Amino acid sequence: MSVDTTPQKGIAIAAEHVSKKFGHVQALRDASIQVRYGEVVGLCGDNGAGKSTFLRILQGIYHPDSGRLYIDHHPVTLHSVRDAQRLGVDTVHQDLALAPELSVIDNMFLGHETLRSGILGRFGVLAHKEMSEKTDAALRELSIALPSLTVPVRDLSGGQRQALAVARAVMWSRSAILMDEPTAALGARQSEIVSQLIRRVAQSNLGVLVVSHDLPRLLTFADRIVVLWRGESVLDEPAANLTVPDLVATMVGYRSGEAI
Amino acid sequence: MADSGKIPTTEKTINPEIDTRAVPSRSFLLRWMSTRAAFILIVDLVLIVFFTLLSKNHVFFSVANFKSMLLNGTEIMLLALGLSMLLGAGEFDLSLGSNLVLSSVIGANLMVAVGGGQTVGNQLPHVILTIFLGLLICLLAGMLFGLVNGLLIAYGRINSLITTLGTMGIGLGLALLFSKNGQDITGFPIQLQSEFGLKTIGSFPVPALLALAIAVVLWAIVAHTKFGRHTLAIGSSRVAAERAGLRIKPHLLKLTIIAGGLAGLAAFVDLAHFQTTVISGHPNDALIAVTAVVLGGTLLEGGRISIFGTIFGVALTMILRNGLVIAGIYSSYQLVVVGVVLIIAVGLDRISVYRRSV
Repeated sequence: MSVDTTPQKGIAIAAEHVSKKFGHVQALRDASIQVRYGEVVGLCGDNGAGKSTFLRILQGIYHPDSGRLYIDHHPVTLHSVRDAQRLGVDTVHQDLALAPELSVIDNMFLGHETLRSGILGRFGVLAHKEMSEKTDAALRELSIALPSLTVPVRDLSGGQRQALAVARAVMWSRSAILMDEPTAALGARQSEIVSQLIRRVAQSNLGVLVVSHDLPRLLTFADRIVVLWRGESVLDEPAANLTVPDLVATMVGYRSGEAI
Repeated sequence: MADSGKIPTTEKTINPEIDTRAVPSRSFLLRWMSTRAAFILIVDLVLIVFFTLLSKNHVFFSVANFKSMLLNGTEIMLLALGLSMLLGAGEFDLSLGSNLVLSSVIGANLMVAVGGGQTVGNQLPHVILTIFLGLLICLLAGMLFGLVNGLLIAYGRINSLITTLGTMGIGLGLALLFSKNGQDITGFPIQLQSEFGLKTIGSFPVPALLALAIAVVLWAIVAHTKFGRHTLAIGSSRVAAERAGLRIKPHLLKLTIIAGGLAGLAAFVDLAHFQTTVISGHPNDALIAVTAVVLGGTLLEGGRISIFGTIFGVALTMILRNGLVIAGIYSSYQLVVVGVVLIIAVGLDRISVYRRSV
């Protein structure tokens, strides 16, 4: 699983011909996606196209009825979010990703706390200094400026919080980061900041999958776009070849004969 | 910590207009002075002055009276400490008073059975064994009570307020059953009271020192350990904690067992203090504990625990109770005062929640 043996442009995370049925509802029929290291892939589709289901399968929340998943080249079976995290895949959620009363540092290390060495560590005593330094370094790496690392996260702006959630995912993932509507709750300027941040994350050689409704913005920062239509992946093109009207037409009108 | 607090000044910072609302600009002492714990401490001191002036010959301000307040506050303090941890994780517990009564009845029954009723002719090793077993069984009974609460809350997914409202009644009912309809149980080794319950070091009652030591340990856990962080994270945002991969159910179970164990310890202190069970003496304990904890600045919704605030909050309820008694105010008025203080406490809590959401 080590990154060293991985070719630079290898597969970070991928799904092939995935299907998923809930009762009588066929949420996914034949969905495929590939995210390579260092690449941002945008996933879009109309409401009910199966984006959320697809994302949850990649996160390990749902188990697909058929199809295969790959993380870092290897075929994998995911039973839980923890499985995916262990294999190096982390998620940035639209909201509720951080504990608002906890500080920036504590949120950065939540679930991954660094303990003091020796007897104190055995009692679960935290290595405050080390965690603080690592947080500072990780935020600098991504050029994220926060007023302080010790304030509760609720005192940060929406954009700062989202940037922190991204930095947190970068810190703990080795293969890929999945982002669910990372800019939906943000204003224009803060969306721009987060978009730039997503590019920098990909440059640090992680695969990034972004689910978004914000098509114009998605086209500015994604390398490739995959469109889901009624549970099928029907388009997979470099973003440079696409325009917003193209995408909308595919999202709502693919095989228009069938649709009507 | 000081280094990390400064703003990174790389040229390509992506957010040039840095929001500086959150920058701590004042010294630690000044910041602490603006916390709720400090505010309640000041209220404590004002009330001490007030009741001293009000009491005849200033008897309120005497070593004997402070000793009595410390001793009477010990049990509430133990309950309030456990409750602080639970509230920090966003869970409630109304059953702590019942837990105390039930655990004390079970512990007393055991000590009477082992210690052989009257204290006549008891040899020292036997006495020590009896007292030790009494402590052990009080703790175990309390933890078991907490375990039941925790299983219902974490795994049964029943709201903690409802769960503990139910177990409060069940606990008290069982205590009555185990004590022939509420006849207090006596007849355990007298050394329990003389060597622990009423023992003092200097002027400090030993049980109060024990409770303070536990408070310090809990403070260290909250401030400096992974367990403390996880507790606060669960209370702050359960979804975020879940997404970060924390195992929430086992954690809640640990917290209810800790709170239960502290109620069991309070039960043992109760037996040692009075040399008898006090079955009808704890109907308001859980509510007084809630008052103290919320007054101290621990958030009702979870996410913030102030152990020092809890200590000062317990002190406030004790000063009020004791002060009103010494001032000769009827006990019915005391109930009114405790109720009013509870409402003020929750009111303060609302104000701080409102401030945060603005």
